[in-house]
Amino acid sequence: MKAKKLLSAALAVGMTVSLAACGGGTEDSAKDGAKDSGSGDGKTIVFSTNVVGGKADALEAACKAFEEETGNVVDFQAPGSDYEELMKTKMASNQLPDLFTTHGWSVARYSDYLMPVNDQEWAADIDDQIKGVITNADGDMFVLPVDIDIAGLICNMDVLKDAEVDVDAIKTWDDFAAACDKVAAKGKNPIHMGGKDSWPIGQFFDWAAPSFYVTDDANSKAEDLKGGKFDTATWESVAGLLDGWVKAGYLNEDCLTADYNSDIESLASGNTAFCFYGNSAIMDAKGVNPDANLGMIPVPSASAGDEPSLIAGEDIAVGVWKDTEVKEEAVELLNYLAKPDVMKTIAEAAGSKAGLKTAEAEIGDIGEYLKKYETVETYPYFDREYLPSGMWDVMCTTGADILSQKDGAVISAAKVMEQNFNDKYMP
Amino acid sequence: MKKRNRVMNLFYIPALILFSIFVIYPLCKGIALSFTNWNGYSQTYKMVGLSNYTRMLTDKNVIRAFINTLIYGGMSTLLQNVLGLALALFLNQKFKGRAVTRTLVYLPVMIAPLIMGYVMYFFFSFNNGALNDLLAVFGKEAVDWLSDGKTAVAILTIVNSLQFVGISMVIYLAGLQGIADMYYEAADIDGATPLKKFRYVMLPLLQPAVTSSVTINLIGGLKLFDIIMALTSGGPGYDSHSLSTLVHRTYFASENAGYASAIGIITFLLIAVFSNLIVQYLKKKEVEM
Amino acid sequence: MKKKNGIWRIPVLIVIFCVYFSPFYILTVISFKSATDLSSRWEFPAAPTLDNFRTAIEQGGILKALFHSFVIMVIAVLLIVVVGSLAAYPLARNKSKWNKVIKAFVMGIMMVPPLSILVSLYSIIVDMGGVNQYWGIIIILLTFELPQAIFLYSNFISSIPTALDEAAALDGCGPVRTFFLIIFPQLKSVTASVVILAGIHCWNDYQFSLYVLQSSEMSTVTLAISSFFSQTTSNLNAASAAALLAILPVVVCFLCLQKYFIKGMVDSAVK
Repeated sequence: MKAKKLLSAALAVGMTVSLAACGGGTEDSAKDGAKDSGSGDGKTIVFSTNVVGGKADALEAACKAFEEETGNVVDFQAPGSDYEELMKTKMASNQLPDLFTTHGWSVARYSDYLMPVNDQEWAADIDDQIKGVITNADGDMFVLPVDIDIAGLICNMDVLKDAEVDVDAIKTWDDFAAACDKVAAKGKNPIHMGGKDSWPIGQFFDWAAPSFYVTDDANSKAEDLKGGKFDTATWESVAGLLDGWVKAGYLNEDCLTADYNSDIESLASGNTAFCFYGNSAIMDAKGVNPDANLGMIPVPSASAGDEPSLIAGEDIAVGVWKDTEVKEEAVELLNYLAKPDVMKTIAEAAGSKAGLKTAEAEIGDIGEYLKKYETVETYPYFDREYLPSGMWDVMCTTGADILSQKDGAVISAAKVMEQNFNDKYMP
Repeated sequence: MKKRNRVMNLFYIPALILFSIFVIYPLCKGIALSFTNWNGYSQTYKMVGLSNYTRMLTDKNVIRAFINTLIYGGMSTLLQNVLGLALALFLNQKFKGRAVTRTLVYLPVMIAPLIMGYVMYFFFSFNNGALNDLLAVFGKEAVDWLSDGKTAVAILTIVNSLQFVGISMVIYLAGLQGIADMYYEAADIDGATPLKKFRYVMLPLLQPAVTSSVTINLIGGLKLFDIIMALTSGGPGYDSHSLSTLVHRTYFASENAGYASAIGIITFLLIAVFSNLIVQYLKKKEVEM
Repeated sequence: MKKKNGIWRIPVLIVIFCVYFSPFYILTVISFKSATDLSSRWEFPAAPTLDNFRTAIEQGGILKALFHSFVIMVIAVLLIVVVGSLAAYPLARNKSKWNKVIKAFVMGIMMVPPLSILVSLYSIIVDMGGVNQYWGIIIILLTFELPQAIFLYSNFISSIPTALDEAAALDGCGPVRTFFLIIFPQLKSVTASVVILAGIHCWNDYQFSLYVLQSSEMSTVTLAISSFFSQTTSNLNAASAAALLAILPVVVCFLCLQKYFIKGMVDSAVK
């Protein structure tokens, strides 16, 4: 009797397991089936992106509209801050999404995996401010720049006005320091940096390094860097700039433990004058305080003989994996994103300029600033253009040592940079 | 009986298949990678011999992470066992509210360390952080809790310990309840003081509980990952990395996958050797008692 | 025992209560505040809002994530129980020299830091087509939870007298029937432990899910929450609401089944 009871118990367990397994299976296949049947001969296109928040929503909406128009299915993936790691794992196993955004690395890191887009209809319309950044040495381009990230220092204009800083007079880093002194005298934070996640520290170097290395035509070290020669003394100046600010007390006290969110909060609530972020940070800050008077200024120069500059880079730039099995559909989606009205909507959500000349995004305040500084020369993000891949992390961590005022941090930062540069440089 | 055993050995098969495909094979590949300079994504790489291993010996970040890992493992274990035993002794008494207290202490064990880390950041952040708000109430200056590497390591250890102390607590509670009253009575007759009773009656009888509690805490502490990622991301700089988070950082951010693999292998060996030694030691003690 | 004055317990209880209740309190307060409310995190929201929960559900897809986590956990745990107890049986019964080797091997696997094998693991899953599939993550969770299950089961089976097996053998039961009919039914209490321990781990898993479940459609709770917190937009309030929603089922489940949870934990440890 007992054995029977046990048998049925065991059977029940077995059944549940197999049922559950089947359940999982049928559900999956049902889902796939729905995809197929709902769209006739439609295909599934995997579209993976690093962008999040409003930008991601806008992109996803565009994909939905594309689905309705063509009957294809877009599997939209936005894993957030884990994106870069995921992409590295995918490159390692040579399995990439059909379409993906390249977060600034279309040439340096992803070009081997991307289909060139030079022969697409819209290629001729790519905005000149971004064209150079996304073109490789052979003149090939690999992505559709949906919008362009043109960045200077973002600032809280009210704080600066209050401290009687004339933003148009900030030409060099010395002027910038003088402005910081005035802000500090008013009891506000000149600069807010969220070093917890270390990337905001890297931002500083991307902003400051060009003024020391490349923007001064008479003294440009661009060729050296590309040729594999790293000038250590100049990096000491870059790192020394940050070190000087820390010593002068320009940075927030918690610069090692604050994060991006607290930077935004502080900027938006009028406690901070400057941050080293792109314009999307302005959009985020408006989310915290819609009334904040936020703006931007070009990045100061290192010497009086040089002019301030801006940084131009990819923001939402989309490429097609060269080995995709749904190339036709993927290119179709790419072209859909290139349509002026589609592009306009996404660029407006991102708060930045559209990537093609055919589209004009209306982006309010930021647009006016961009217009104001239209003639300022733009340079690419320093680490993407002039440093070997993998140096970003080195910039961030050596920067953290400076923030925590370790002994000899400036000298060792330059030394570690040089060492890693030489290790990672590939001609 | 021989044949019976052979049939029985078939029961291993599903587990063995899973282990060889999803653990052994990738592990071997990882070992192979540790001799290369692979950056983690490109299709080509060079063999670099043992240089990844020799480099570790002089890499101060690795040494720092190594020490931190020992602190996370060792200090968490110590804290959790001392606190766990104290809580167990406290909650083994009969009074109103002890069931609720027990529940409350055990509850965090259920919660993902990742989420716990995010919540803890609300406490320790400088601006608007809950702890600094408390200090302000007492008129004290705000403290930037996580800005110093040593403090950050201490805070991570404490957070980890407090979250998982519930495990040790229930193990010790069960141990205490398993001690028959006659031992205490015998000690009473001998006129033992409470302290002596604790030292000579309770502790020896709790030895098996100590072994299991220490083992669980030790492996958990040495593998600490999620909570570091959520609370400090290994910072400031590299100061609060454990070996696991350092592997992650080296692999992805620094693009040194070969080097990261080598660190990973060493981490594995460290955890295996260290926890085996401790377990052997405790087991031996159990027998002696 | 003599009756003692219990007043001293009150401060101790207050400290314990403060330490363990405050995280939940803070999380709750934040999730009811609007993003523009920058008051102290101890302060009760001036105007409590449910917007964050709406955001968490609508944008964060937290309900769907809860469902995915649930399905994955249930199937994974069932498989862990079956495969684990199966493998544990010969391990506990066949006392050969291989036994120790296998035991050490299983223990060793418990200690492999998943990161050191992640990339190779990921390419295997890709080759098998398991990315963004339930079975992809289930098979990995199964593999990495197995050692503990095997360990618990084999310890427990060792304590069951072999006379039981021998009697079954005399009655003509083969090992398969012996296991399912005689042994498995004896394993109720240890199975409860395995289910609880493995269940919590599967529910809280972050590292593996991150790589296997990449489509936001397939996110589990930890993934949904981490993407909420790690986004570079400052909606910590909605993230907190999402976190609250995610831990709620676990907390409720724990409060209802507390006895079993604790018993499971203890059984697994003190064996």
